[in-house]
Amino acid sequence: MDFISNQTVQIKAMLAELGLQSVNDLFKQIPDNLKIAYPDTDDGLSEYEGLCLMEKLAAKNTFSHFENYMGAGAYEHHVPALVGAICSKSEFLTSYTPYQAEASQGMLQAIFEFQSMICALTGMDVANASVYDGASACAEAILMCLRLHKDKKKVLIAETLNPRYHAVIEQYLNAHEIEIILIPVNSVGKLEKAKFLSLMNDQVAAVLIQSPNYWGVMEECKEIFELAKEKQILSILCANPLAYGLFQSAAEQMADIAVGDCQPLGIALQFGGPYAGYIACKQDYVRQLPGRIVGETSDSEGKRGFILTLQAREQHIRREKATSNICTNQALSALASLVGTLWYGKNGIKALALTNFQRAAYLKNQLSDLDNVQVITTDTCFNEFVVQFKQPLEKVLNHFHHLAIQPGVILEKDYSSLKNCLLVAVTETKSQDQLDRYIQAVRTIG
Amino acid sequence: MDKTIFEKSQEGQHAFSLPKNSGAFGNFFPPSYLLRQTALNLPEISEIDLTRHYSQLAQINRGIDTNFYPLGSCTMKLNPRINEYCAQFPAFTRIHPLAPDETIQGNLQIIHELIDMLCQVSGMADGTLLPNAGAQGEFIGLQMIGAYHRSQGDYERSEMLIPDNAHGTNPASAAMAGFKCISIRTNAEGDLDIDHLRSLVSSRTAGLMLTNPNTLGLFSSVIQEIAQIIHEQGGFLYYDGANLNSILNIVKPGKMGFDVMHINLHKTFSTPHGGGGPGSGPVLCNECLKFFLPIPKVVKNSTSYTVQWQDKKSIGQIATFHGNFSVYLRAFLYMKLHGHYGLRKIAEVAVLNANYLKHHLAKLFKVPYPQLCMHEFVVQADKYLQQGVRALDIAKRLLDYGVYAPTIYFPLIIKECMLFEPTESESKATLDEFIQIMTKIVNEIELNPELVKSAPHNQVVKRLDEVKAAKFPILKH
Repeated sequence: MDFISNQTVQIKAMLAELGLQSVNDLFKQIPDNLKIAYPDTDDGLSEYEGLCLMEKLAAKNTFSHFENYMGAGAYEHHVPALVGAICSKSEFLTSYTPYQAEASQGMLQAIFEFQSMICALTGMDVANASVYDGASACAEAILMCLRLHKDKKKVLIAETLNPRYHAVIEQYLNAHEIEIILIPVNSVGKLEKAKFLSLMNDQVAAVLIQSPNYWGVMEECKEIFELAKEKQILSILCANPLAYGLFQSAAEQMADIAVGDCQPLGIALQFGGPYAGYIACKQDYVRQLPGRIVGETSDSEGKRGFILTLQAREQHIRREKATSNICTNQALSALASLVGTLWYGKNGIKALALTNFQRAAYLKNQLSDLDNVQVITTDTCFNEFVVQFKQPLEKVLNHFHHLAIQPGVILEKDYSSLKNCLLVAVTETKSQDQLDRYIQAVRTIG
Repeated sequence: MDKTIFEKSQEGQHAFSLPKNSGAFGNFFPPSYLLRQTALNLPEISEIDLTRHYSQLAQINRGIDTNFYPLGSCTMKLNPRINEYCAQFPAFTRIHPLAPDETIQGNLQIIHELIDMLCQVSGMADGTLLPNAGAQGEFIGLQMIGAYHRSQGDYERSEMLIPDNAHGTNPASAAMAGFKCISIRTNAEGDLDIDHLRSLVSSRTAGLMLTNPNTLGLFSSVIQEIAQIIHEQGGFLYYDGANLNSILNIVKPGKMGFDVMHINLHKTFSTPHGGGGPGSGPVLCNECLKFFLPIPKVVKNSTSYTVQWQDKKSIGQIATFHGNFSVYLRAFLYMKLHGHYGLRKIAEVAVLNANYLKHHLAKLFKVPYPQLCMHEFVVQADKYLQQGVRALDIAKRLLDYGVYAPTIYFPLIIKECMLFEPTESESKATLDEFIQIMTKIVNEIELNPELVKSAPHNQVVKRLDEVKAAKFPILKH
């Protein structure tokens, strides 16, 4: 099938007006030796056949038959039904980047509200309209710092940063002669603060810490960021934005730039994307922000309106001198996280963050009493933590899978010291019954 | 709208509900020194008010579903609803990106088959779906070119050649990938100036980034010669796939001589633009470059698929997980529905629609390149400058007539440029109506230019003050 309006009658009429015999005449400028043969048969599907195909492929995915405790940067949360209802509105869904502001006030205002929401959570002064994901937000933040400190060639990154974020940072910095220095993690999943402090010198452009970190632990960033300020090093804090409902904001922790992924705020897991990265900063650094930014203005009669602004930073104007090559933001995913956050609202976000913390703490606490498992991350965690099993992980996983539980994310691939360890995430979607079943499952590993 | 959602906050109101907390959970609290001290300035609002706010915002936003959207270079075609429906299957939406391979065989099959289908239409050998958008695809393609040269012990190739009419992302991506950008002129016929190219290509050339058809909507008939010039000097030819819609199953970039390319699935393969994203920018490449593709890769074994997170030659990662799965899932279905047969028809009618529109608009505007165009074309609105009317004003007046504006002031090399792309979706009747509207606006310019210069008149706001927004930025509530 296809979705083409004009059929033989119209095509003939249009060709006649153009003085052409057939559609092939439209491609005269293409050298004949390059042209490929016309497909001989209609090999497309009907809408119904397409639907059946997708149902069949979906049925090959069995993951949703399991109770899911996997996190590591993507979390199973309830997505409010309103999110889908708003995001599927075709005026949002099928619109383009709002270049013509007067006909795009809906999306522009929504993005302005998204920026406001990110500023509210992080405590920062300005936010952009979103970037691709948490990883690219980290990378873009570091590039911002390198532009602000052109003479400095080192960045300090905590080893407790999501290793996939780290990998993407390496990709973005690949072409620049920048040294990335890793600050090691200690035995309970927190970064070595003394080591961090000793490495801060005038060669360093930026420090990047994730908190809650990849192991789930709340880092104590404030002291490091304060010292960074003294040494004129820029501080980047990467965080699950939901944690800001309960824990100190990025501003309270003295960060200059706040980054992370909006997925926990109302975006379905959907195999890792699309999500939306956020990037917010202090007012002083606004002209180094990458990507779209929406600002408030007024029309010729003084009426309030919204418009893409500070575009002199961007690739369509500055080309190779732009702050980034990013063209699109993740507008629809950003809208999802905005509606998700507003559905919870001021008090709901606090309550959601707290119940995430409490459910994870309950499971962590119960597991710490068991003999065949050891909790590694004994300090305060947000909604995930690391446990080490006494038995080989393969056996542990088989046991859990048999009980239709996905017990967590394997850590050994990322941290060789974490043999037989799982990163276990607990959100509001897990009831006490389910958590007790997890505990029972650990007890009964043979 | 008069108020933002933040200004509609009403104390104590809310929409949320949470699963009940069991008593056993209530014993746990974080230490107070970690707790947030400052107020969380989010609105308090009920579900009806929240629903109404965003429903009203939708009403003052235009999409393809509501209006003709001839935005050049953006390929604003129909986003079929069957794609939206299937993308919402819980078996797709509830999957964790690190789920064990045996539980995600459907997803992995989609990834593997989609790469295969994209290789077929592009004439390439292998690919990746990881880049989250076209610009990220460009960056990855260029990183692969850099990695190849370095793998050959060649560290001198620091220059990327880019035509002066290229998309802004091309030079921006090249700069991010560490290349020096060298601009190549366009000749009087709208094609790449081959002599200029010859004079600039050297052993320092890493590659040439090209869109074909280019951003003027013109197919370069000397593409094979261009490829030869670049290849003889040891450079690579990069294809910016933004304009792929016009050549689907007519001609393949691989056959033209391109070595690596990206495709904008949100353009050619109809995934919704979503108000500016999420997109998806797969990268395809030939045999020579495929070893450098980013990870993770999906590998097909005899009876199943696995995800490979390690690969020695690979340039590494670009996305947190698997890229925008839910976006490229839609493109997969779109390609399956069309088959090769339907894809060919897309290109034919997209090019026919563009030429038809161009033929009629040529009566109203200067057309700098009168030859046949591909899926899009430029007109020059500078003759109305004597009435004080600019391309921007015409764009704004179109909004009053219920049409979204074309791309304006791009490519930068054309004076008062307007770039139109009607796509294959639109009917002759829609195009005829549009031609009438343009005729009417040109009449207005002659009779009452003020009317056009002060447009739009019937939108929710009148012409917005861009200068004020940038001079006195208000960027949040």
